[in-house]
Amino acid sequence: MNAALGLVGQLARFAGAMREHGIRVGLGDEIDAATALTLVDLLDRNEVQRGLRIAFKVPRDAWATFDRLFNAHWDGTAADDVPVPPPAYPRDHRGAQWRWDGARVRLVLPESERPEGDEPGYSSEAVLRRKSFDQLSAGEIAAMERLLVRLAFRLAARRSRRLVPTRGRGVVDLRRSFRHALRTEGELFRLARRARALEAPRVVLLYDTSGSMDPYTRFHLAFAFALRRVIRRLEIFAFNTALTRVTQAIAPAKIPQSLERLAEGVPDWSGGTRIGACLAAFVADCGALVGGDTTVVIVSDGLDLGDTELLGRAMRALHERARMIVWLNPLMGDPRYEPTQAGMRVALPHVDHFGPAHDLASLERLLRFLD
Amino acid sequence: MNEAIRALQAAMERDGYVAEPAVATAVYLATEMRKPLLVEGEAGVGKTELAKVLARVLGTELIRLQCYEGLDANTALYEWNYQRQLLRLRIAEREPHDPAALEDLIFGREYLLERPLLRAITRRAGPPVLLVDEIDRADDGFEAFLLEVLSDFQVTVPELGTIAATHVPHVVLTSNRTREIGDALRRRCLYLYVEHPSFEKELRILRGKVPGLDERLARAITRFVQALRRRDLRKLPGVAETIDWAQALLRLRQDRLDAEVVGVTLGCLLKDEHDLRQTVDAALAELVAHASSPG
Repeated sequence: MNAALGLVGQLARFAGAMREHGIRVGLGDEIDAATALTLVDLLDRNEVQRGLRIAFKVPRDAWATFDRLFNAHWDGTAADDVPVPPPAYPRDHRGAQWRWDGARVRLVLPESERPEGDEPGYSSEAVLRRKSFDQLSAGEIAAMERLLVRLAFRLAARRSRRLVPTRGRGVVDLRRSFRHALRTEGELFRLARRARALEAPRVVLLYDTSGSMDPYTRFHLAFAFALRRVIRRLEIFAFNTALTRVTQAIAPAKIPQSLERLAEGVPDWSGGTRIGACLAAFVADCGALVGGDTTVVIVSDGLDLGDTELLGRAMRALHERARMIVWLNPLMGDPRYEPTQAGMRVALPHVDHFGPAHDLASLERLLRFLD
Repeated sequence: MNEAIRALQAAMERDGYVAEPAVATAVYLATEMRKPLLVEGEAGVGKTELAKVLARVLGTELIRLQCYEGLDANTALYEWNYQRQLLRLRIAEREPHDPAALEDLIFGREYLLERPLLRAITRRAGPPVLLVDEIDRADDGFEAFLLEVLSDFQVTVPELGTIAATHVPHVVLTSNRTREIGDALRRRCLYLYVEHPSFEKELRILRGKVPGLDERLARAITRFVQALRRRDLRKLPGVAETIDWAQALLRLRQDRLDAEVVGVTLGCLLKDEHDLRQTVDAALAELVAHASSPG
């Protein structure tokens, strides 16, 4: 410990190191930790460690990191000695530009950011094929919308256990009945009733835009457009090597403009995939979008170039929060397909419905599952 | 170790709860800092028991609010006693009355049914222990409501006005993590994660909870359960299950473990059909051999 900083200064530095290593602690936690330090025996190293872990509210899966950082701080070695894990995905795409050369869209990265090597999955000149976008016909979208209206209704058809006032049938609500009765000198003329509330569905669509998904792009864009029209509380994210929120870009009334915006907004379209890193980023940054009433729909072939352990952790976190996880895999359209890719195998235990998604018939199957 | 924490640990142990230093530290910090304690961990590691013991150690009342999906403020906070109110109105009809006075009367504290949360903050004889059990089962809306009560420690009843806490209760929240608890609530609390007990701790619990159990059998039982927890099962047995099983073996007058008796009593430990089917024959014989080996 550095005595010059004082205990509070030390604590602030320690909290900073925790944040740097991905443990989320806020100012309130620091205050709690400082208070805890006034209560524990400061000469008992184990007790200080336990007390800080409790006061900083360190979740179980971050204990190992916490203990490492604690040891480093207590022994006087700087926190910099503890290796900082690399960021889960490149967050910053500043300086990158999309160029339209008449036939295709290219992503132009500034010189310094150009990735090294020529791994096929992470090519810097990600190509967005405009052709497949153009074939998105209005008729197809209309057909899909009809199907999705039914689908959305299924997603919404869950009744909450919470009771809300109703004019129809339901259990007697004495509190409200009695309020009414007061107006008529205590005579109960009409019984107020309550029934279980109908939940508005919330859907998060996570769509894989990597190169291996290209043949299905057209269909899935139609899916996204239709879904956007029928479900009010919908968030759409595109992911490949990075995660991009595209909810605003997808406006059903303006399909051509939407496609332009998508082409501009989604980096590395048709590039490689890091599903694990992207889902982990989603959980970390946008986890609040997923609650007990949220259905998460992941559209991906599960061909992951990244870390499958990361994928497993992210899927488990999602599964704990979400009401349901649906994984649509276009490869399943092939009857010989078996989910043997490492990525798919880790993800499957956390998926409630795993089904194909390459044509309308496969969506009908999803509908039957929701029944 | 801080003397107060050591004393608390000893007091809890006297009351039949084997508390690790981390548990005692968390309870001590929560009572001293007057913050709710959020306890997470697998089912059956003694989360609820912790609150009960705390109430006994502090010599105060335990007020329990069991959460479930659809739990609403009426059930958790207060409700009017409508039957009595109606009755009072009927009586009032027969005599001349002042309507305003009557309304004041029937919306008085006398006609208010206090539910756990209100009871916890208005208890006269010192702060009670408020156990909010399985908060993960209540919905997000209730969590937000609870957060409000726990930060202000006051409750507004429209007909009565604001009721402030006479004491700030000791609050223990438990969660099985069937749902992730919101960050806001988590930040408000101190946090304790309870793991399955070590061999020594489980053996001590067993000695305390099942008197009359043969020492050798107690060791074998503990070793068996500890080994069982290392297997890939859907639902790992908790300490509560270990105690149940020991009691079953005691009733059956067993003094050692053998494959046959373990086979027929395994339902005390494993409560999932898949797990039961997984743990038969070869696996069972191996576990029994391991448990019965000295050392």
